[in-house]
Amino acid sequence: MGNIIKTLDVTDSLTGLKDVCDLENGRIAGKIFYDQAIYEQELEKVFARCWLFVAHESQIPNTGDYITTTMGEDEVIVIRQKSGGIKVFLNACPHRGNKVCFAESGSTRGFICNYHGWSFNVEGNLVGQHESGVYEDSNFDKSKWGLKEVAKVDSYKGLVFATFDPEAPTLKEYLGPIAWYMDALFDNQEGGTEFVGGCIRSTYECNWKIAAENFVGDILHAGWTHDSAARAMLGGAVAKVSDFEESYSVNWNGHGYEFALDTVGNVAVLGESALNKYLHTIKPSVAERLGDFRSNMIGSVSSCTIFPNFSFLPGQNTVRVWQPRGPNKMELFTWVVVNKSAPEEVKEKWRKGAMMTFSPTGVFEMDDGENWEYCTKTAKGRVTAQQDLFVGLGMDSLLTETPLPGNVYEGQLNEANSRAFYQYWYDMLNSRSWSEVPNRNVGKPEAE
Amino acid sequence: MEVIEKVFLCKVSELAENQVKKIDNAEFGDIAVYNLGGHYYATADLCTHATASLAEGDIEDDMITCPVHWGQFHIPTGKAQGFPCEIDLRTYPVEIEGDEIFALIEADPALIAKG
Amino acid sequence: MTALYDELRPVSAEQHYRITHFLNYEYRLLDDERFDDWLALMHEDIHYWMPGIENRRRENLLEHGFYAADHMAFFDDRLRDLGRRVARFQQPSAWAENPATRNVHQLTNVEVYYGETDGEFIVYSTFQSVRSRGLDEEYVIYGRRQDLIVADGDRFKIKKRLILIPNATLTCKNINTFL
Repeated sequence: MGNIIKTLDVTDSLTGLKDVCDLENGRIAGKIFYDQAIYEQELEKVFARCWLFVAHESQIPNTGDYITTTMGEDEVIVIRQKSGGIKVFLNACPHRGNKVCFAESGSTRGFICNYHGWSFNVEGNLVGQHESGVYEDSNFDKSKWGLKEVAKVDSYKGLVFATFDPEAPTLKEYLGPIAWYMDALFDNQEGGTEFVGGCIRSTYECNWKIAAENFVGDILHAGWTHDSAARAMLGGAVAKVSDFEESYSVNWNGHGYEFALDTVGNVAVLGESALNKYLHTIKPSVAERLGDFRSNMIGSVSSCTIFPNFSFLPGQNTVRVWQPRGPNKMELFTWVVVNKSAPEEVKEKWRKGAMMTFSPTGVFEMDDGENWEYCTKTAKGRVTAQQDLFVGLGMDSLLTETPLPGNVYEGQLNEANSRAFYQYWYDMLNSRSWSEVPNRNVGKPEAE
Repeated sequence: MEVIEKVFLCKVSELAENQVKKIDNAEFGDIAVYNLGGHYYATADLCTHATASLAEGDIEDDMITCPVHWGQFHIPTGKAQGFPCEIDLRTYPVEIEGDEIFALIEADPALIAKG
Repeated sequence: MTALYDELRPVSAEQHYRITHFLNYEYRLLDDERFDDWLALMHEDIHYWMPGIENRRRENLLEHGFYAADHMAFFDDRLRDLGRRVARFQQPSAWAENPATRNVHQLTNVEVYYGETDGEFIVYSTFQSVRSRGLDEEYVIYGRRQDLIVADGDRFKIKKRLILIPNATLTCKNINTFL
């Protein structure tokens, strides 16, 4: 079939990456946030290979419902099929390459290119063109010129992921045991979750990895960076994370989830007592569904990144993708996730609460942005870009006797997840194929 | 108008309500037969804009939407109603005999759709 | 959709002047970072709304075209929420406000009409907000605005504000001001 996407030839790995990404010694350098050659390798070896988040199933419930997004810098259409499945196509006409869908979301019979009237149905097949007779005169084979379909699409608990790489592991293998932790937000009630309508997009002059790493395992910044926001929303400082009796940093394949077990530490910063109450109300049923342990994570002080660029915060219920737009530019796409079964007024409070805290006007996000931009911009200096940056907290904190799945590290105030994130990134950039990616996982692949 | 041929389309039982079916016809061009709430209509199946079988399109009220560029025709009259369709569709009177639906082909060569 | 001229009752030149003056004053307070004084101009029932803008086809429009009340927003605030935003600006630990952001707010295309009840005014306008931070950062936001202003003695209060930017993607990282 002509609609299958061509994969990229793999280019040689860059030399000298080890100098700027040496995790065994707990150091990286700013060059990885600013270098054009590194960025081009990322587009090819990270974004054209890994599973990337493209949609939530609830955004496209009916046949012909679609959203457009990007996988790396590649524009794609995510569309619900008659069969109930979901297809992901390159948003580019196979005739001259023009974009076939200019809207961000909607419902349609298909896509007609504005240039020469090539028309594609919901399945991506080319069904005709303007002046179709001239194509027939050239013995044109319509069946070979549909929209190019990505290699694989799969979903986990309503979250739809896609990959350009037919050789990629399954989504299940890719997520590994992190999926078990994700259930604390995405599967804590019967019926699962849905996205609130809309998507807020903003533009950062920062490297995408800074933001992804912030969510993979950096709760350390919260108490300092977000002091002003916490005082505004709560009337006091952020909870002192080092006081938590029990907290963890867990990672796998570069994904990371850091969490405490305080149930409502994250949701509390929205300053809406009804949301704390909602989580306390559902907690016993979550315990029945997922066990006591994960029922403590439904809105606790926690954050997660699925490698490379999909992140979320339980409690604040913000879900986001850090879209790469160059080594020092990123577009942030954000959504709000809620339990389908939650009362309407609870969903409404989350819609507003996420906006008040983690959005371009959010009082928390306000102080993140400048930090991320200047972590990137300082690396404009050739000398500065080569200097070591410390990521060495918790080097010896691996827990070997834990029943928890994944590579489990003690405590949230720990850079183990950040190191694992950069290590996986480094490994992807140094691997010509998936089989070359070293397996650095040491923990249990599944929950017991 | 002189009826020059009576073409069998399909059985009433084969065409559910609000469905359209394509009937191959090499001589006069393929014919689309419609059941709109128990009333039967027949039109040329070939869209007047680009190469497309209207029977693969969707019926909305009494309109058929071409599956290729989404232009529309009014099924009872064949009137082109939506961009990019500008040329009306040929329609055929329909006759029901028992369980069988027929299209009456009239002798107007200017109107005969190309197959 | 905004109202056509025949459906509206324009105010007198003097009233137009007073309300335009009030709105210019409001912007000067923001440029001076006098957030408490700015907050005092808000009616207790203020609805301060800046919906997210969605790039959709004409045949797939939302409740209000490019936006909808139950979709994500930049602001969808009541007085308590605006107060919280102001409270963050005023913390010594609002790191990204020190050095300060320097603002220029401009208001143009002001049209003032009588509202449905006495002492209420509908104001259509457009704005530009220019912000600079650091040595060389500059961010400009353009937009349209629709306000409901109510008389409060010989002054005014803002009861409703709808802010519409043309951008479906904000061209900068944040909106660390009011519009």
